[in-house]
Amino acid sequence: MLYYDQYHVPETLDEAFDLIHTNGGNYKVLAGATDLLPWAREGRGGDVNYESVIDISKINDLSKWQLQGNRINLGANVTISQLLNNPFLRKHIPVMAKSAVWFADDQIREQATLGGNLVNASPAADATPPMLAMNAELTLERKQKGKIIQRKLPLDEFLTGPGKTRLEAGELVTRVECDSMLGYGSAFEKVGHRRSLVLSTVCLAALVSLSDDGQEFEDVRLALGGVGPVPIRLKESEACLISQPIDSDLIDKSAVLAVKHVQSRTRQEYRREVVYNFVKRGILGACKDLNTTFADIDTDMKHRGNYG
Amino acid sequence: MASFDIQMTVNGRPVKQSVSPHLRLLDFLREELHWTGSKEGCGAGECGSCSVFVDGVLMKSCLMPVAKAQHSEIETIEGLEEQGKLNVLQQAFQKTGASQCGYCIPGMMMAATAALRANPYAGREEIKERLGGNICRCTGYQKMFEATELARDVMNGKLTIELLKEEKEEGPFIGSNSFRIDTSSKVTGALKYAGDMVMPQMLHMQVLRSPYPHAEILELDTSEAEAMAGVEAVVTHRDVQGIDGFGVFTDDQPVLARGKVRYVGDAIAAVAAEDVLTAKEALKKIKVRYRELVAITKTEDAIKTGAVIIHDDVPDNIVMHIPIRKGNVDKGMAEADFVIEETYYTQPVEHAYLEPEAGLAYLDADGTLVIQSPSQNITHHRQKLAKILDMPVNRVRMIMSPVGGGFGGKEDMHYQGILALAVLKSRRPVRYVFTREESIIASAKRHPFSIKYQLGLNREGLIQASKIHMLADAGAYNCSTEGVMRKAAILAAGPYAIENLMVDAIGVYTNNTPSGAMRSFGAMQSQFATECHLDLCAEKLEMDPVELRRKNFFKEGDETHTRQELGSVSMLEVFNSALDLADWETGISNSRGATRSDLAQSGNRPPCTLGARQFPLETIPTGQAA
Repeated sequence: MLYYDQYHVPETLDEAFDLIHTNGGNYKVLAGATDLLPWAREGRGGDVNYESVIDISKINDLSKWQLQGNRINLGANVTISQLLNNPFLRKHIPVMAKSAVWFADDQIREQATLGGNLVNASPAADATPPMLAMNAELTLERKQKGKIIQRKLPLDEFLTGPGKTRLEAGELVTRVECDSMLGYGSAFEKVGHRRSLVLSTVCLAALVSLSDDGQEFEDVRLALGGVGPVPIRLKESEACLISQPIDSDLIDKSAVLAVKHVQSRTRQEYRREVVYNFVKRGILGACKDLNTTFADIDTDMKHRGNYG
Repeated sequence: MASFDIQMTVNGRPVKQSVSPHLRLLDFLREELHWTGSKEGCGAGECGSCSVFVDGVLMKSCLMPVAKAQHSEIETIEGLEEQGKLNVLQQAFQKTGASQCGYCIPGMMMAATAALRANPYAGREEIKERLGGNICRCTGYQKMFEATELARDVMNGKLTIELLKEEKEEGPFIGSNSFRIDTSSKVTGALKYAGDMVMPQMLHMQVLRSPYPHAEILELDTSEAEAMAGVEAVVTHRDVQGIDGFGVFTDDQPVLARGKVRYVGDAIAAVAAEDVLTAKEALKKIKVRYRELVAITKTEDAIKTGAVIIHDDVPDNIVMHIPIRKGNVDKGMAEADFVIEETYYTQPVEHAYLEPEAGLAYLDADGTLVIQSPSQNITHHRQKLAKILDMPVNRVRMIMSPVGGGFGGKEDMHYQGILALAVLKSRRPVRYVFTREESIIASAKRHPFSIKYQLGLNREGLIQASKIHMLADAGAYNCSTEGVMRKAAILAAGPYAIENLMVDAIGVYTNNTPSGAMRSFGAMQSQFATECHLDLCAEKLEMDPVELRRKNFFKEGDETHTRQELGSVSMLEVFNSALDLADWETGISNSRGATRSDLAQSGNRPPCTLGARQFPLETIPTGQAA
């Protein structure tokens, strides 16, 4: 059970930082609270007592987004439900909506935030692989001697292990910036024990753009979650396709290259099979998303267990 | 502790109150406003029973600090009725029988309401998605989907409202569609489960549980806890006035640990205090000194010679051994063309009823002890309690509160005795509500079995002899083990005519969580082994698994394994109908595998595939997106 004496709801970042300072070390920052409250229970965090809780979800600036060149700049308070439903975000970063469909359930998506999902640093976080694939960079801010100190970190450097990040004491993740994916096809794959409210056993984000004649991969981006301590980009699998013709053998090779990343504590054999098939299906799904169908490849790509 | 001024609108009425800031919205609604329609099933956002609308958006109130709902408009299940009458959705839930135990229903109804508000024409798949954050353990969900579709069609004028009325049938009840009597109280959230009940002067109880699987208690000092302000009673085994011990078959479990603990979660002491937090603080002040003992965690270790003894009066650790002997098994095996052997294992299973255990106990003015709890065995509990408390049985009254799912798991008297001690000591009403975690730690599970199966068959597939040795993990206490062993043994060999049979069902004590009653009472485990084994035999014999079973079914006039003569047997008829409905593809199982076509016939469910989205993204309504 989580208990505390004070609940603060700052409306600006400045107020939030002031509260962080006045509360010394005994405070907890929350946004959606959907990870914190289930954690503060028997068998996990147990009974947890803080002097203060600082709820940053009402800081309006952090709920906004904007297009900056070909990058989208999202406030950390953007909810998973906004990623799913907002037409602008669906247009520019549709893979987030595709991942959001799988994220928890209707109720939790309304409360849970993008920033919270990234900071929580679950190896199975559904928002992380798409964000990695979109070259996400985080803005981290803290206040020192009355001055806001800002730094930026790519998402893959920010995450260091299960539940572990480079976030420092007194620091907040305020913004998440990523590529706009106009012109790309996308797919998100996930499997878990059930349909809703389930941790990913494996999840994968795939983004593909094709050459003008539609015969070659121009760009391929793949990111994988649920199979190791942190979600990762599949650089080797990507490299073997970029600027190459769309060919089932190459796609197969790309999928085989992904399999070795399975480092989970359990069910490795199963996950290897899933990863292999997810990479193939993800790439094909992203191609199809561009209204390009490859009938011959399609037949070739049927589910197979004999990876690698 | 500081307080927090909260203002909101609940079901159309303004509310203004000063509360502890750490309350969740769910706590505020239930404990401060006593709107108990919203339920706590898990407290961790998993089950959805606490779902309410916050400013028109469906949320899980157990995941929401109350301060987040400041100045919001809250709608709960209690706000759904229209002018004191059930609304269309509530009537539809009533009509389809969607409400069984009723505990998930408030959350489920709110999710269904949200689904139809988001899209008044939502199809089955979208409804399923929208209800995805809510768990039900009774219905299998179909009736809820049907109810939501029915309500949708009535609201859209596609179906008439008359359809929602009860179909009054003349004649027999069987085959007619009648309403459960308690449904309307469940779809309105009005029904009070034990954890919803309050009384003036009521205390809250918390229980100290063992962190060790097996340990001697050398010292148990409660003095510091007793000295705390707000603590009204601390109880231990020392407060038992009568003959301690309860159980469904033997009284081997003390109300509170007596000298030793036998599993992780064994209750040691309890505190009744003015509020839950104080009770929790007091638990921390109880001093227990343990001497750890060797713990038995595997059934095979429990029956080894020289094994640690878990209950002094059962030196061999065997709770119950049920043997069945028929014919001559050795001869039958020797004469068989094939003898096929395999060992099968089943795991413990948690019932996970959505209502965690809860009870409210108090003394009536005439000194009668009253305990309200969702007990599935009140008469039995009453007898046991009278003995334990040394009270005449007519001074102990058990009231069965609505059971929010039991499935056998609420047959044991795991906490009612503790409540009784706390009430008798404090002379005040005492309530005890388990958390989900506590329910999983402390309550009995389905027995895990290991089943060594040996079957002798002739070339035609007729069973010549069957030898089944079952070892079941009873855990720390007997609970229902004796009955489970009987049922497992009686049904072990399946509905097959077998001349030579040898069955042993043995339940043994270990230091694992106790095993008890759960749906089918031991039959599930033995049937699992029997049917797996017949499939295996069919493969070895290169026979259609269906044919193998047909050949061996009991027929009219046969004797069961326990010598009951069967007057009529409909097994074959039932079996054939099921095969028809399943579009069963005949043939030898070895030749199937990936090419099976019977799985995806019309009307059948396609095989599970990995990761495919259940419905295209485009069909999701965009709601009030910016």
